[in-house]
Amino acid sequence: MTPIQDATPKPPKHPADLDTSIELPKQRESPASSLASLPYRGSNPSLHKLFESTASTSISRPSSGTATPTSVVPGSAFSPGSRKSGTGTPGSLPPGVSDEHRTLIQQAYAPHVVVVADNDTEELIRGKGLDGGLLQLLRPFGESLSGKVTIRDSVGASKSYEDFGVRFVGMNEVLGRPPASESAPMRPRPVGGDVAHVEELVDRHLQYSEFNAQGSVPDYLNQGEPAAQESGRSPFYTLYLRRLLSGLPMVPHETFAHPVVGVIATSSRSATPVEELRDLYNRQHQGDLRVPQWVDGLFLRYYVFIHEEETGDIAKSNTTFDAMKRHFGLNCHLLRLKGQQCISSDDDAVRLPTCEWLSASEELAEIQKQESADEFTDPAPYIPDSDVTAIRTFVRELVAQSMIPHMERNIHQWNEQILARRRGLSGRFMSLSKRWTTFGSSRSSSASTITSSNSNYDSAGGFYRPDAPEALMRRLADYCFMLRDTKLALSTYEILCTDYNNDKAWQHYAGAAEMAALSALLSPAALTTKIRTEKIDEWIRSATYSYTDRQRSATPFYALRTLALSLELLRLRGTSATDDAARWGSRILEMNLVGPIGTALITERISACFSIRPGIGVLKLGSRRRKAAFWAVLAAQEWWRQNKALQAEKCLDAALHLYGARIESSEGGPVRLPFDEMQHFVDELRQKILGLRLANRGLGEDDEVGETQQSMLVEEATETLDASPRAHRKSLAGPSAPNIDTGPLSPTLERMPEKDDLFEGAV
Amino acid sequence: MSYYFTIFSPTDTPLFTHEFGTSRSSGDGIAHFSPTDRHLAPFILHSALDILEEVQWGPSSTAGSAPMYLKHIDKYANNYVSCWITGANVRFLLLTRPRDEVLGQGGGLGGQRGSLAGGRLGVGGGGGVYRPDAPATEEAVKNFFVDVYESWVKTVMNPFFHAGNGDVVKSPVFRARVAAAAKKYL
Repeated sequence: MTPIQDATPKPPKHPADLDTSIELPKQRESPASSLASLPYRGSNPSLHKLFESTASTSISRPSSGTATPTSVVPGSAFSPGSRKSGTGTPGSLPPGVSDEHRTLIQQAYAPHVVVVADNDTEELIRGKGLDGGLLQLLRPFGESLSGKVTIRDSVGASKSYEDFGVRFVGMNEVLGRPPASESAPMRPRPVGGDVAHVEELVDRHLQYSEFNAQGSVPDYLNQGEPAAQESGRSPFYTLYLRRLLSGLPMVPHETFAHPVVGVIATSSRSATPVEELRDLYNRQHQGDLRVPQWVDGLFLRYYVFIHEEETGDIAKSNTTFDAMKRHFGLNCHLLRLKGQQCISSDDDAVRLPTCEWLSASEELAEIQKQESADEFTDPAPYIPDSDVTAIRTFVRELVAQSMIPHMERNIHQWNEQILARRRGLSGRFMSLSKRWTTFGSSRSSSASTITSSNSNYDSAGGFYRPDAPEALMRRLADYCFMLRDTKLALSTYEILCTDYNNDKAWQHYAGAAEMAALSALLSPAALTTKIRTEKIDEWIRSATYSYTDRQRSATPFYALRTLALSLELLRLRGTSATDDAARWGSRILEMNLVGPIGTALITERISACFSIRPGIGVLKLGSRRRKAAFWAVLAAQEWWRQNKALQAEKCLDAALHLYGARIESSEGGPVRLPFDEMQHFVDELRQKILGLRLANRGLGEDDEVGETQQSMLVEEATETLDASPRAHRKSLAGPSAPNIDTGPLSPTLERMPEKDDLFEGAV
Repeated sequence: MSYYFTIFSPTDTPLFTHEFGTSRSSGDGIAHFSPTDRHLAPFILHSALDILEEVQWGPSSTAGSAPMYLKHIDKYANNYVSCWITGANVRFLLLTRPRDEVLGQGGGLGGQRGSLAGGRLGVGGGGGVYRPDAPATEEAVKNFFVDVYESWVKTVMNPFFHAGNGDVVKSPVFRARVAAAAKKYL
């Protein structure tokens, strides 16, 4: 397959256009101009595939809420388990809440495997139609392993996980330098950590849904009642979270992105495979592929020999493989692949799965590429079925037989050698003496590598050496977290917090505090309110503070991550923890950590946090319906400002539903909001949204209509609606509503019968 | 400093709404909400009812009888909500929107020129930042509520007024008394 990027040398220039359309919501021509630059192809199947993650109806998964506990909260008057009103049996999860984001968070923190291959091998894979080489071939398969993976935790108990995965990364990302640039000049860096990119990407998804709502994509309006039991599950918010967590950058203060295993590959095309492998290893060890000095270079190496079925001689390959095993030990694998390019019409061709954990900039580039590519061609490469099986086996073996045992061994070793000492009496004394005297280090020189200085922290470079006890403990905790042993991870993070605090390593301290909060919230143990308010809140607060204000270079991305993940996990805890979740949500908004899209999403999310809180009894005492409704209105307003009519509509409907639940029963008629002003505000907002929606539809339908005409049409529509906002709401919620798009009709023509309806029915 | 005062019936219907500004230290007694704040004020007050119920039925902070004055209960952005609850479950909600300087955003020394319920005596937080839980603020709001409560009781004792039926209070006398209380204390 020819490299398609050559046809599109233009850099991603959409943000500029988007900005104009975002900033000026009232001007009808601005979306038009942004659309003009956006190739509109409602029928491009491959493009639709890209937007699948948000476009598909999120089917409610059966929430496996067994692991999430209910906290027994005495703090709130209405929460079950309270002192005063101890009625109600605590369920595992609040009704209508899915575990989706919890699993998302667990999957996001996956071990990283760095992949290098010699030139012959890369050539071989490129011959199969994969520009990205071996990395591109392996990457999708690492994200979800076939079958269960069993992990032994620190106390020796085994647990199996279905959804375990690893991330394959290239050497360039690990080294943090731009990729070797001959093949793909515009290849984006697969490293995330950039909120602006995430925003932009989600905005593209939103636009797609906005302008393709009537096509093959299921209409959001008809996706079911915008009811509270749906509890605000927005695919866009999930996407936002996922992209926020994709491609964690390599940084000194956390080791999630540091390689755990390095795959070194060669192939049967190479004349001297063992030498090639050795050469690659040496380059990684001390040559140009060396990792930064704050990363431990002694990660596990895994040697792969790729046998090409067509040209290679299997007998020869076997002997080479045996030689490899003799040289390098057991961490070797023989991978048999076909060297020919495969096309979609071949018998056993399988489409290379798309990566779920693409970084935002990568996905943006992908969307850009496909929008400018031909219609109806699917640029995704195809590979033979046998390859898929071979790679799956390889990845599974790599993870289950080498990586996990390696990590378990390390955890065990560090736990005994460093953590146990640090935790014991002598360790406490050591840290004390380390803190107060400079002589104390002499007595502990046998215990650790501390020799002369009283701190291992290199404050100029802002890192710990990888063999320092603090760095090892951090890796221990991160390994535990990645292997989902939250208990040991939590206790280690707690110790680290004090250590880093003493060393004034604020970035590290923030990282440890963040992870301590997350592991405490992820752990299946029940949390008392006391722990929650005294410890977890404190961790979250100090992590956010240390990430942003406490140091010279603020890292708002991490602060956002801390708050967003805490919000999700607290929300899952139900009852009064949802209040905290909402509080952290509003903190995100107050701190200006997100852009416009994020603001709207988070606002919507806060509403969702409030809405899941169940009330007690018939009167729903202690519920947060009114709060939820308020935030939903805010979200609707925010979406309207971003020109996202569908989302705004959805939020507004949700808000009215929340407001209406208590009032409707007594009156029976359409919901009247308690304040006339509120009613007025909501009606006005709805009209504005409708105008926007019609404009969006109109532009989507027939591009040749002049902009002036467009604005005229919109004006007309709003004027007609002035009289009957309520009736219009009903008609939209009803099944017959979206006949707006049946043809290039003038909206006035359509509105007339509805107006009649109003006079007959509602008045 | 701008205020938005609303009386809610037990069924969450607003019975009376009054909007005013501070009259203390060169205040003109007129509310200066920004348009956005003005639009959101009813929403904020309505949503605060959730928290109110929580506080109302929650464990009592004082010994003995439940207090009528629930103090500062809720906050949205820079809007603070204080509450008074009567024996008939009628709720008085007062939304306070301090001026930006008092919030420490204008960077000025405006705290000293704030109203009694704001910066001048509530300087415990340092820098004149508005603190809804400062004793002086609480006391001022309480005095206001006590005065309003007195007039409210007189109003509802009127046999021609059915507060329970959601009758909106239209009496100009009542409005004048609320305004007077506001002028006196806030």
